[in-house]
Amino acid sequence: MDQKRLELPQGTLDLLILKTLAIQPLHGWAVSERLQQVSTAALQIGQGSLYPALHRLERRGWIKATWGASDNNRRAKFYELTRTGRKQLEIDTEEWRRLTVVVGQVLDMA
Amino acid sequence: MLTDIWYRLQAIFRRDRLDTDLDEELRWHLEHEMEKYLRSGIPEDEAKRRARLALGGIPQVSEQCRNSRGISALTELWQDIRYGFRVLRKSPALTSVAIISLALGIGANTTAFSVVNSLILRPLPFPSSERLVFIQPAKGTTHSFPNYRDLRDRNNVFSGVAGYRVTVMGLDTGGSSQRIWGYLATGNYFEVLSATPLLGRFFGPAEDRVRGGSPYAVLSYGCWKTRFGGDPGIVGRTIHLNGLAYSVLGVAAKGFQGTELFYWPEVWVPMSMQAQIESFSWLDEPATFNTMLFGRLKDGITGREAEARMKPIAADLAKERPRWNDGLQFKLARLGLVGDTIRGPVAAFTTGVLLLAGLVLLAACANLASLLAARTADRHKELAVRMSLGAGRGRIARQLMTESLILACAGGIAACGLSVFLLRLLSQWRAPLDFPVRFNVEPDWRVFLFTCIVSISSGLLFGLVPAQRAWRTNPNPALKGMPAGSSRKWALRDLLLPVQVTLCCLLVMSSLVALRGLQRALEIPLGFEPAGVAVAGFDLGLARYKKPQGQAFQRAILDEVARMPGVTAAAFANSVPLSIDQSSMSVFPEEVTDSRPSARIDTTVYEVSPGYFRTMGTGLLSGRDFSWQDDEKSPRIAVINEILARKLFGRTDVAGRRFRGPGGLTEIVGVVQSGKYVSLTEEPRAALFRTATQTYDGTTVVIARTSAPESQTAGGLRRVVATRDPTLAVQGVGSMSQMLGFAYFPARAATVALSVFGMLAIMLAATGIYGTAAYAISRRRREIGIRMAIGAQPRQILRVVLGRTFALLLAGSIAGFFLGLAADPLLASVVYQASPNDPWVMVAVPLAMAAVALLAASGPARRALKIDPIYALRQE
Repeated sequence: MDQKRLELPQGTLDLLILKTLAIQPLHGWAVSERLQQVSTAALQIGQGSLYPALHRLERRGWIKATWGASDNNRRAKFYELTRTGRKQLEIDTEEWRRLTVVVGQVLDMA
Repeated sequence: MLTDIWYRLQAIFRRDRLDTDLDEELRWHLEHEMEKYLRSGIPEDEAKRRARLALGGIPQVSEQCRNSRGISALTELWQDIRYGFRVLRKSPALTSVAIISLALGIGANTTAFSVVNSLILRPLPFPSSERLVFIQPAKGTTHSFPNYRDLRDRNNVFSGVAGYRVTVMGLDTGGSSQRIWGYLATGNYFEVLSATPLLGRFFGPAEDRVRGGSPYAVLSYGCWKTRFGGDPGIVGRTIHLNGLAYSVLGVAAKGFQGTELFYWPEVWVPMSMQAQIESFSWLDEPATFNTMLFGRLKDGITGREAEARMKPIAADLAKERPRWNDGLQFKLARLGLVGDTIRGPVAAFTTGVLLLAGLVLLAACANLASLLAARTADRHKELAVRMSLGAGRGRIARQLMTESLILACAGGIAACGLSVFLLRLLSQWRAPLDFPVRFNVEPDWRVFLFTCIVSISSGLLFGLVPAQRAWRTNPNPALKGMPAGSSRKWALRDLLLPVQVTLCCLLVMSSLVALRGLQRALEIPLGFEPAGVAVAGFDLGLARYKKPQGQAFQRAILDEVARMPGVTAAAFANSVPLSIDQSSMSVFPEEVTDSRPSARIDTTVYEVSPGYFRTMGTGLLSGRDFSWQDDEKSPRIAVINEILARKLFGRTDVAGRRFRGPGGLTEIVGVVQSGKYVSLTEEPRAALFRTATQTYDGTTVVIARTSAPESQTAGGLRRVVATRDPTLAVQGVGSMSQMLGFAYFPARAATVALSVFGMLAIMLAATGIYGTAAYAISRRRREIGIRMAIGAQPRQILRVVLGRTFALLLAGSIAGFFLGLAADPLLASVVYQASPNDPWVMVAVPLAMAAVALLAASGPARRALKIDPIYALRQE
């Protein structure tokens, strides 16, 4: 794939993480893999920026972390969405869709 | 929201745990990423490298995760504080100088503010005290009792009006009588104050009904503790005041001292016992103005409204009793400082002191700012390294500001300790009289809050300068090893030295002016010679001597004292000038028979024995002194002072003329020189002396002029009295100069305060000048070396290097001098006879400043000249 990877606008990383975790609880690495798969590696998400975002979301109470046993029985930190997180996801998704519609309208002006 | 706070708390208190978890989480990620590459066949080393590239370095990612914990501000602050402590510890000299000068500067402000707070700002300790007001007449502070009764009954603005009088009583203590001070108070006194007693109860209007038949007393907390040992069964006990039995109804709460802030009475007695406590009754006398009044305003009525509504009452009273109430007015003032009479001077003095303390603090801040700025320049290498490692300018500036704030807080804490100590001393100071004056200036929460605000503001103020310098630091030249220097000719920092010098000038001027003022106050002719005079006082009325026995006692004591070794003259009087006990009455010219107020002359009155003027050293201008032959059978006579003679007749040779005095038509037998009678700063005042052989007063002060040491003679006086009557209480024993101490107190207090500030200012200016000069020289060491190497003379070098410093000094001195002249009116209000236009001061101040500057700069200057050129060139 020779196309240049798209840079994420500010704040959208949080939205993507929330959506990914809405499907099922995952640990950090799995979130990174899933995002890569789904976006077919078109998004430029530094793996390093994932973790600060996860911690930030944890601080704000939208996701919560539990230490559980992973495959090969080692300790791993799993993240899952909280109730407030779910609500926030809805709000943010709605906002995003509206934003894209409006921007699209402006761009479609003749 | 709560989750947020909980998370942040965990981040603070379980930091290690979180860090280990984070580390584990990231390593886990790395492992899995590595596995991913391994599975697709990449060798282990390459897989590790790619994994690491994908994630980024663990330390960097950890750092970012830690930042997202939301406590980075706190962590950075904590780091700054710890670093600041380390830096400050490394230069103990600068740190101690800084803390000491801050402690002195902030401490001065705290102490001054506490005094202002206790005397002016703090509300009186009574419920709704803002409704309490002091009712003041047009002139003076007291009213007649009939006027009080009429005001109380006719007004509709107060829920209660009460009256009180400061008075001295004799408490019987097992055989002898002790002088104690207290209040005569109307029945509703405690009611109007809404005070609550500690033990028992207060007397109320019901206990103030019967004249002479209301023998009740309320004791103060101090009296109860010291005189009665805190006896829990005190309520109901009987005490004897002036020979009569009084029943103790209760004890006032600790710290309750009635309606005057400076006066700490021991007992309250109902006003209807007035005739029993004092020797003459004035409760029905419209001509005697002895009562101070206060009231509690009704809800919703303002002071101005009340004053307006009292105007018609005053007008009515003036119509009903025109002889005494002509021109009567009722004004309102805050309660606690004898209405407006001492409130004004006290407020002016304390605010003046506070302003000066503020100036000293500003000078200290300017001093510190320049010292710290100089040090910042020395640290430029350290700051440059930090900047190149990634610290932002903001972070560095914050670091320096934190250091300044640490110094400020340390200074503030030291200041608190210092001022608490000073204030305690002040509160425990007792006036050198038996009149109970005390200043309760202990600090409360307002004072500590003030200290906090002042400390932090000072820290921000002087911290701005080094922080701003750091902001401007360019890391490159520093890292290359070049000395720091700004390219601009004049920086804002250069203002600091002139500012310090200006403030110092101002403060030194104030001190000198005050000292001169005091010197002049001490030289004012008092109208008598206090040196070499011993006095002792006793009260025969309190000890229940009747007039014939009293007179005989006085005469006998006088004869014995005159025979004492060393005594060259002796006399007695009912009071001496400038003591606390002064009486005044009205006199009229002979031809005025209707006592109208326009012809009235207010006069200070004394009852003196023959020989008084010789003993006191008061010059006789015409006529003669009293003699023992002038007794009650002779016509009424008096000696008057020059002022009164001029007021009555316009001349001083008026022996033989007459005037209408307190007892009727009186003949003048002599005229004496005028002097000071009530206070050192009074306007020239009329005085009248009556002879004790015609007017008896049991209150006696024995005066002896002696060639022996005064204290010795004073002891002798006490012994003479004790031999004749061992139960008679003698007080006010000592030299006349000691007794005058109280009169000089305000001037002395002002001078001490100003001198202290002056010295502080000089110290601060000297340190500032020294620091600036030293810094200027050290910066240009290389340049000095080169100049010396090519043959410059010492004078030239000094001119180049210190020229700027001295130019700034000069500018500051001139500014300070003119500011001082402008501040003359303020100073004059605080210190009697102060005037900076005094030629002595105008010469002394510039000289003093020049001396300080030369002395302070001489050290660095000498060092500059000793610089070895080769050594200097090799440096840097």
